[in-house]
Amino acid sequence: MTLHARLASLLLACAIALPAVAIEFSRKPQAGSADALLSADAAFRLVSVIRDQDAILVNWMIEPGYYLYRQRIAVEAVEAGISLGKPVLPKGIAEHDEHFGDVEIYKTAVELRLPLKAGAPVPTQLRLRWQGCAEAGVCYPPVTRVVDVSPAS
Amino acid sequence: MSKLSTVLVIGACLLAAAGGYGLSQLQHGGEEHAHGETPSTQKPGTTAAAPSESLPTGIALSDLDGHKYSLDDYKGKLMIVNFWATWCAPCLNEIPILVKMQERYGAKGFQLIGPAVDDIEEARRAAPGLKFNYPVAVGTPEDMLELMSTLGNDQGGLPFSVVIAPDGRIIERQLGEYSEVELAGLIEKYLPH
Repeated sequence: MTLHARLASLLLACAIALPAVAIEFSRKPQAGSADALLSADAAFRLVSVIRDQDAILVNWMIEPGYYLYRQRIAVEAVEAGISLGKPVLPKGIAEHDEHFGDVEIYKTAVELRLPLKAGAPVPTQLRLRWQGCAEAGVCYPPVTRVVDVSPAS
Repeated sequence: MSKLSTVLVIGACLLAAAGGYGLSQLQHGGEEHAHGETPSTQKPGTTAAAPSESLPTGIALSDLDGHKYSLDDYKGKLMIVNFWATWCAPCLNEIPILVKMQERYGAKGFQLIGPAVDDIEEARRAAPGLKFNYPVAVGTPEDMLELMSTLGNDQGGLPFSVVIAPDGRIIERQLGEYSEVELAGLIEKYLPH
């Protein structure tokens, strides 16, 4: 084999190897869209339900590649006879959905603020509901949880 | 000189192979390790079933009018059980494609079944607009999640489809939407005649 032929072989070897490397790059897992689809509890983590001076604060952390719908976060008192103030949620990312119209979604994190009425009984437990999806095109059933309200530390 | 060239070629191949493996490990963080940490994770996309895996018998369902039926009633047909819900936008995207497939292949031995992982009233309200031409199954969301788990989806993500051969063998599962092209190809491949 001549030197030129061997150099051609070297180029051919690289030509075969480089696309293989490129394929590996293209398979890089994207959060929420590739190898590991998280469970709803892992994707949307309820991290705290804390009573502050004049409100109860509920916080969720949202994993990259997942989102919660603002319109599908709901809260109610578990105990009978307790009336709650109107929950306050931050403005989300505005999106237009073909099926649901104009919606807002949260990525990364969201805090729900539940104002306490002066002199009114404070709930010790809340029933929370939320629902979200993975950007990979998979949605999770609504989650309902009854949680204790912790006093502020 | 010729020996040097040979060494160069072999060395380039080894380097390329080692580089590719190293990149793969960096990107996946060690696939075995990651899978070991989260054994219950599911992947969006298609998963082939084990060759001997069959649909469990005796799965009873109830349609939107309360009539009872069983998946066993459709044995002998190529069947897709497609779980959906009104709160699931990808499901609502996919249903018109499924309706089209039922229309196109229904007379050729294909049957779709659509269990709704939803409140019965929500499913009833949405059904006319979705123009189902195949049986929808309703129950409590908990019952439907249990059925979905029986058919291989423990996490509850939707849409979720199970493709069942005419002899009852499970062919594959799909988490996420099928495209029209994928679905037509799949159906034509496995139609009974």
